[in-house]
Amino acid sequence: MTRPAVPAVPASPASPLLTLSAVTKRFPGVVALDAVDLAVRAGRVHALVGENGAGKSTLLKIIAGAERPDAGTLSLDGSPVTFAAPREALSAGITVMYQELSLVPQLGADANIFLGMEPGRRGLLDRRDAAARSREALRSLGAEFDATTPAADLSVAEQQLVELARALERDARLIALDEPTAALSNVETGRLFEQIRRLCARGIAVIFVSHRLEEVRRIADEITVLRDGRRVFTGAAAEIDDAGLIRQMVGRDVEYARLASARPAPGEPLLEVRALGRQGRFSAVSLTLRRGEVVGLAGLVGAGRTEVARCLAGADPFDTGTMTLAGAPYRPSSPREGIARGVVYLPEDRKTQGLVLGMNVRENVTLATLRSFSRRGVVRLRAEREAAARQTQAVELRPPDIDREAGTLSGGNQQKVVLAKWLLADADVLIFDEPTRGVDVAAKSELHHLIRELADGGKAVLVISSELPEVLALADRIVVMREGRLAGEIAASGATAEGVLALALPESHAA
Amino acid sequence: MSAPRAARLGVPLALAGLVLVAGVLIPGFMSRANLTTILLHVSINGIIALGGTFVIITAGIDLSVGSLVGLAGVLAAATLTSGEVLRLVGPGGAAVLAGLVGIGAGAAVGLLNGSVVARLGVAPFIVTLATMTAARGAARLVTGGVPIGFPDPGDPLYGPKVAALDALHTVGGGRLPMPGLPGGFPVPALVMLALVGAGAFVLVRTRFGRHVYAVGGNEEASRLSGVAVGRVKLGTYAISGACAGLAAVLLVGQLRSGGPDAGMLYELNAIAAAVIGGTSLFGGVGTAWGALTGALLIGVLNNALDLLGVQSFWQEIAKGVIILLAVLFDVWMKRADARRRARAARI
Repeated sequence: MTRPAVPAVPASPASPLLTLSAVTKRFPGVVALDAVDLAVRAGRVHALVGENGAGKSTLLKIIAGAERPDAGTLSLDGSPVTFAAPREALSAGITVMYQELSLVPQLGADANIFLGMEPGRRGLLDRRDAAARSREALRSLGAEFDATTPAADLSVAEQQLVELARALERDARLIALDEPTAALSNVETGRLFEQIRRLCARGIAVIFVSHRLEEVRRIADEITVLRDGRRVFTGAAAEIDDAGLIRQMVGRDVEYARLASARPAPGEPLLEVRALGRQGRFSAVSLTLRRGEVVGLAGLVGAGRTEVARCLAGADPFDTGTMTLAGAPYRPSSPREGIARGVVYLPEDRKTQGLVLGMNVRENVTLATLRSFSRRGVVRLRAEREAAARQTQAVELRPPDIDREAGTLSGGNQQKVVLAKWLLADADVLIFDEPTRGVDVAAKSELHHLIRELADGGKAVLVISSELPEVLALADRIVVMREGRLAGEIAASGATAEGVLALALPESHAA
Repeated sequence: MSAPRAARLGVPLALAGLVLVAGVLIPGFMSRANLTTILLHVSINGIIALGGTFVIITAGIDLSVGSLVGLAGVLAAATLTSGEVLRLVGPGGAAVLAGLVGIGAGAAVGLLNGSVVARLGVAPFIVTLATMTAARGAARLVTGGVPIGFPDPGDPLYGPKVAALDALHTVGGGRLPMPGLPGGFPVPALVMLALVGAGAFVLVRTRFGRHVYAVGGNEEASRLSGVAVGRVKLGTYAISGACAGLAAVLLVGQLRSGGPDAGMLYELNAIAAAVIGGTSLFGGVGTAWGALTGALLIGVLNNALDLLGVQSFWQEIAKGVIILLAVLFDVWMKRADARRRARAARI
């Protein structure tokens, strides 16, 4: 991996309000942020773009005081600061508005605006004053609803105004917005942008995170592109076009060896999905999984990939569409039924969905197939141990200790344990959801080979991955989802990361 | 299960320490007669705690067991002293039938608890709080509020009724002759020890037992692995109910009477025993032996304080302190565990 030269942050008339220099954050198995520099100026909109997992969320969390950097410094008005808790960032005038808005649904807009600030008022909340100030703050933001409306009754756009009003009441100097337009209509987006410009006019610095590149260029003064935890571009918004941004987002420095199919042609169709839909999640998804083939399912987080996968495995019900498995109708009502029919799902979150962390490796590996190691309900421990040992060797668990508690394993080893469980089930269709997230590079490559071998051995494999190089290296065919629908399908030979990403990015709302 | 070693050994060590200290300080504590008395006193709570342990391992809770002791007890007593039953099957048969009725009633309410929890997804605390209230009401309704038991001397069926009560008493209050033990070994204690052994086997060696731990450890991962989560939960509540029913039958036998107010607060004693024995209310961790050691710890403490002539009010306070310590220990082990995991995963 070579490190591309990064152009220096261009000089600007206003001196930066908040500066990050060489900020690094590591999580087990991954470097989420690698020596990132960022300068945010008062009265300007600074956009942050990047693929899933590029480090945007981690960066926001560090700014918000929810995570502490392992190295590097933050400075506010030129003097270094450390935030030990979100409270400290808030009192320094920094507000981060997450995609999941943090309002108390049962409380009114005014109560939400003053949440956490009440005790400051001589120990007694002056409700009339709070209500008046809330009304004033909301009106200044163009809100038309009553200030006492419970948050639960407000639309997403209105809830955002409540959060903005709260930020203003806290005398915010910097407001970071994480994907604020994801759930907004065109008109609402336009109004939000108006408010953002008004905030800038008051001298507030804004960080704007979005996947909608056209919107980014419309609202932002400066753009920073993150890729794999590193800053790869910072420049004036006017200087770069969509194609240029996509090129920066994708980059070329993480490439895996392409694992070509060992088969001349894919085998017969095994799982055929026709016009599958689930209310509010995804609709009209059709795809075919064949024996001997790895299909990559690409798309941004929230595009509906996991939701589709869970329906295929019987973990969630679907509303419309049909599925056939090896020619026979297939409508699993539970994962149990899916497993019995030979369809298994390896969830994206191993800790909460894949493993029983308090159980040891052996118990996890045999959890789905315990019936075959028991006689009249009594587990035959020797047979169980042998099978667990065999499968953990097959997936190269290191160390191959089947008595170790699953919770004490590294991410890569945990994923191998989950894989061993499903190898033991001898399923025909394997659905991998982000199989290498949080896995170190060596284990990643091993998992790639194991997945390829499964397909070469005649299994049908679906791999969901937000890491484009991984999809390109593994898949024979790439299906792209965008906002709950299929955006297109590409043969892997000849596919480029730019091409996949261009399909995956949502179209901007017309202004 | 895979609880840290300190957690597994902590309570047995505390129990051994307590026995040792009591044995040195209190004359008569170490006598065989006193030790068997402790076992007898512990057996009802031990049996209920064993059933509760199954539920708690799945991260559930069963508050209904105390009321179930009341309801199953009065149903068993009513069966035992029913003229019809006595005419049809005689005193011995009535005792057997009463046992089945008591256990069956407990299991039935347990199944009801389990199906509401598993199928309707209502919080176990609420479901079993409701059945706890309703079962107590039902017990009072059946009896009109007065215990069913020893007949009036003028009762035309006086003889058979007493014979039936005596028959059940051989189980609930009987003692097996044993060399070196003048009074013999109490049957309920024997029943408890056998059940704990069976419970341990089910939890450790059977598929059902494995699934109980898996569901409590991570319900979603279990579901995605094809474990029939609902059926597993249903099973644990049925076991808990059946254990309460059996405890009720033993109690009726012991007292020769079934009262609607029997078993008051037994659910809390059972939960206390399970928790003191290392079963985690967070789910996924616990053992049958833990239920036994927890019940024994409470029993030994009560007995020792009794022999010392300590007021029963103080005994309650002491029990409260021990429960708190046990839960703190659980929380503390959890934290240490999380730290250990984080460290290990980083390597």
